[in-house]
This record gives sequence, C-alpha cells and structure tokens, in this order.
Amino acid sequence: MMEAKREPVKLVPITRSHMIGCGLAFLAVLLPFLLQNEPYYLDTLILALLWASAAGAWNLAGGYGGLLSLGHAAFFGIGAYTSTLLFVELDIPPLMGMLVGAFLAAIVGLMTGLVTLRMKGPFFALITIAIAEVLMIITVNWSDLTNGSQGVSIPYKPGFENIAFDSKVPYYFFALMICLIPVFIAHWLERSRYGYELMAVRDNETAAQALGINTVRVKVSILVVSSAITAVAGAFYAQYITIIEPYHEFSFAVSIQMVLITMIGGLGTAWGPVFGSLIVTGLDTFLRDVFMGAQGGLQALFYGLMLVLVVLFVPEGLIPRLRKRISSGKEDVTCG
Amino acid sequence: MILLQLILSGILIGGVYALISLGLTLIFGVMRIVNFVHGDMLMVAMYMAYWMFALFGIDNYVGLLVIVPATAALGALIYWGVLQFAIRRSHEASILATIGISIVLQNAALIIWSADYRSIHNELSTLSVEYLGIRLSAPLLIAFSVALVVTILLFAFLNHTYLGKAIRAASMDRYAAVLMGVNTRKIFTVSFAIGTALVGIAGGLLASVYTVYPTVGTQFLLVSFVVVVLGGLGSLRGAVIGGLIVGVVETASAYFIGSSMKELVYLLLFILILIIKPAGLFGQQLPGVNR
Repeated sequence: MMEAKREPVKLVPITRSHMIGCGLAFLAVLLPFLLQNEPYYLDTLILALLWASAAGAWNLAGGYGGLLSLGHAAFFGIGAYTSTLLFVELDIPPLMGMLVGAFLAAIVGLMTGLVTLRMKGPFFALITIAIAEVLMIITVNWSDLTNGSQGVSIPYKPGFENIAFDSKVPYYFFALMICLIPVFIAHWLERSRYGYELMAVRDNETAAQALGINTVRVKVSILVVSSAITAVAGAFYAQYITIIEPYHEFSFAVSIQMVLITMIGGLGTAWGPVFGSLIVTGLDTFLRDVFMGAQGGLQALFYGLMLVLVVLFVPEGLIPRLRKRISSGKEDVTCG
Repeated sequence: MILLQLILSGILIGGVYALISLGLTLIFGVMRIVNFVHGDMLMVAMYMAYWMFALFGIDNYVGLLVIVPATAALGALIYWGVLQFAIRRSHEASILATIGISIVLQNAALIIWSADYRSIHNELSTLSVEYLGIRLSAPLLIAFSVALVVTILLFAFLNHTYLGKAIRAASMDRYAAVLMGVNTRKIFTVSFAIGTALVGIAGGLLASVYTVYPTVGTQFLLVSFVVVVLGGLGSLRGAVIGGLIVGVVETASAYFIGSSMKELVYLLLFILILIIKPAGLFGQQLPGVNR
C-alpha cells in the first residue's frame, strides 16, 4: 500500500512488485495484532524497525551521498541523551525532546559537514569516528549533567507525549512511522533534482562540480538531514529501552550496526535498511535463542563475519539482487 | 625537572607508538588500506606473549622470536584471504572489511580468553631506572630501544634492498611500479605482513608494560591513527616523528589534566589536524586517496 501509493502516476500495468508491496504493507499493519500475545517477537520487530530508522537515516548520507560516516552513533547518542535529560531534569515530554535532539544533532551534523566535506576518502570516515569518541568522553566525564558512565534511567509515565505505553503495539506503530521517514525521503531523492545532484556528487564529484552542482552544499545538507533523523531514532530508542549509557549510545558498535544493516539490505536503496534490519535483528534474536547462556561475543563475532562476507560477496546488498530476480523478464520497474 | 621527566617518558612510549604507526602507515601507503585490524594484531601479539610467559615461563622478549613470524603470517593470511578482494572493489569496501575482521578477532579473543585483564609479572616489569632524579620504567626503556633498532632496520631495508625499493615504488605509483616489472601482488602481501609484524613486535614489547584484554587494541589503534594523520597518511618519517609528538602530548596531558581526559586531548588534536592540514606534517598528495 505504502509502496504502491508512492509510485508516480505512470500508466504502467500493475507489476508484480506493486502486489508484493501491497501485501507487505498489509502484513505490516496486521502483524502487531497477530503477535499481541507474543511480546518477545513483537519486541524483536520493534527493535528491527528502530534500527531500520537509524540505518535508513545513515543510508541517506552513506548510501545516496557516498559519505562513509563511521560515527553516526554521535547523532544517535545526542538524540537519546537530549530527550532523556530534558525529560528527567526539566520534565519536558520526550516527544518534544525528540525534536530538540534532532535539532541539536542537525547542528552538530552541519558543523561536521562544514569542516569535513572538502576532505577526501578515508579522512571523512576517520573524523566521524573521532567526533563520536569525543562526545562519548564528554558524556562520561560531565557526570553532573549526564550521570557519567552509569547512564540515566527513564521514569515510566505512560502517555503519548512521553512515548511510553503499557502495550507494545503503540511502540510498534511509532517505530514504523519513524522508519518510514527515511524511506520516503529516499524515494523522493530517487526522483528529484536534488537527489540526482546528490547521487552525481557521490558517483563523480569532479564531474558534478563541472556541471555546476554546488557539491559542498549538497553533501552538507544531506548530512544534516541524516543526523537529525538518526537523533530521532536515538530518542525513540531511549524511550523504548528506558535506560541509556554513554558506552553504548555513542559506541562504534552502534555506528557499525547502521552500516552493516544498510550494506546487507542494499546501499543507496530506499527499502534496503528496512530489509537489512529485519534480517540482522531477526538473526540476532535467533542467535540469542540458540546460544542462550553461551559466552558473550558470539553474536558480535557473527556481525563481524557477516560484514566481511557481505563486502566480499554481495557488495550491492540483497534488495538489488532480489529486485533483479523479481523484475527479470518483466518491464523496467523503478520501485525502491 | 618534572617537564624533563614528562618529555622523556613521553618519548619512550612515543617510540613504541611510532613502531605501531609505521606498520599502519606502510599498509596505507602501499595498499591504500585504512587498516582497522592493526590494533587487534597488537592484541593478538600481546596474548601470545602472555601465554608463552604464563604457560612456559618464556620471557616476552625471547617470545618475539615466535611472535614476529606468527603475526607476519597471520597478516599475510588476512590480506591474501580477504583484503586483496576487498581493495579491488573500493575504499569503502576495504575499510568495512578490515572493521569486520577486527570485530571477529576481538570477539574470538573474548570467547576464547574471556574479558579478564591479564598481565605479565616478572622481576623486570616493575623495575625502573633512576638517574639525576629522573625515573624511567625499565620495560619501556627496553621497548623504546628495540623499537628504535627496528625502525632503523626498516628504513635500511626500504632504502637499500631491492624488495624495499619495490615496496616504496609501489607506494609512490603502483601503475608505474607494475610497468617497471614490480610484482605488486607479491609486494602487497609482503608489505601487509611487514606491517603486521611491526605491530607484532610492539605487542611483544608492550606485553610486560600493559595489561592485555580483548579490546586493548582499539585504544592503540586510535592513538596510531592520530599519529599517522599527524605525520601524514602514508609517510614513514611522519609516523616516527608523529609517534614521538603524540607520546609526549599524551604523557603531559595525563599529568596536567588527568588520565581520563588525555584521550580527549589527542582526539581534539586529531580533529584539528584533519581540519587544518589533512595532509599532515610530511604528507604528500596521495593519488589513491583523492579519487
């Protein structure tokens, strides 16, 4: 339904991918009610949507803009900490705090963009790692405000404005809404002048410049959008898990999680992060079930292995692979 | 006096940083790989030194005889088995592949050896040398001396042997090197092995200075990124001087600001260099980076 609705009004017959899209949308709405009595699986699903939002936000900059950020945890952490601290200290509802966090993250993203985007190649990746690291150290050491390495736990006050509910179903729809934001933006990128400019810069910056594209403006703006949405995901994460700590929220592992999910689903595809997240988070839950009580590290080891295997064998991700298979023999399908 | 003490202590640890960073910058210079596995090779080397000491009572300096070939072989295996395929794809692919391998190694270490902190205690490890009121730790002094010798040998090797010259040629212009009859495929594997062997030596030396745990490498990786960026990515001379500078800055900031904030100091230094002079002190424009 969602996918089909976004299709441009081209007079094409309903393709197989339209039908698949409709079916999946229907399933997405129905699923939480089917799983209402299976909180464990519903929890997995919510986390999958959450990581789909963060990865989707990363994908806007990393996939469409070609900016290999390895420090998106910085924006995730800003979102989580801003909404939480505003709630705990000033009693500002997290729904508001989420927007404030997005705004702050956008500012940090803007500054990051302005100082880095004339840099080439690996320098950008390195500086984003350093920025996340710096924010982590500041959060750990500024313990008057942030409670240091112990983290902050969030009091449970149910209500829509507090993003706290007594059932898991509303969380699910909340996460679904957030994860659709980057998907819609990605769809828009695929058919707008700005999106074409962005992808031109990604594919060949010199050529893009020669065509009169303001490459710095294009790159900085996508980084700002990506940062803000990542912060929204971070704020939702904080409200859902109800405890945050600097060594997790700002960690390299969180940054890599976004990259890994996007890589698996498909770099620079609208639905790639959603698909990738369902696989990665599902696998995560599955592994936890299988190796219950086993030593820590096994899941992370699996993540690392997956990252290597994806880079070597499916560098374009699963969505482009599947799309090729679905539309083979059919006419050209441009759905994300 | 305290200033002299700080500078000398800083130079000692800086020498080891330089050794680690030489490996990182060599690998970057030749293959254009930003190698996130580097820190974990240090971890592996430290564990090897620890277990040889704990199980057989072998001194960690003698242990280098095993550690160096072992880390070189592991490095060659990683390059040959995974990275050579990743670098054919893109910069991003090689970065992500090394991150993946790094995650695998760290968690394999966690599963096999647990998160316990382990350290070598022998009569040398707590010894220090005192002269004119300046106190220097003996294992660090040894580590610095060995690092110095290895660095000199490395420069001699790169400047005066055919293989060394071929490595430098490949790092300057790999296509021209191929045209001159250099077998770059072999050179890449050899350079990666040399790079990891250098960090293996550092790991063996540091095993009696620091405790070892599965993620010990990340801290050193971060430091050597700072060093390499300061000196200029791909510049060997820059890595040596950058290592000494970072060693002194780190020691001084740990003393004046506190050790929890010293990381902040060199991270800010890192960001500042990248903004102001991304080519570093001795960096040249690298053809592979400016794609």
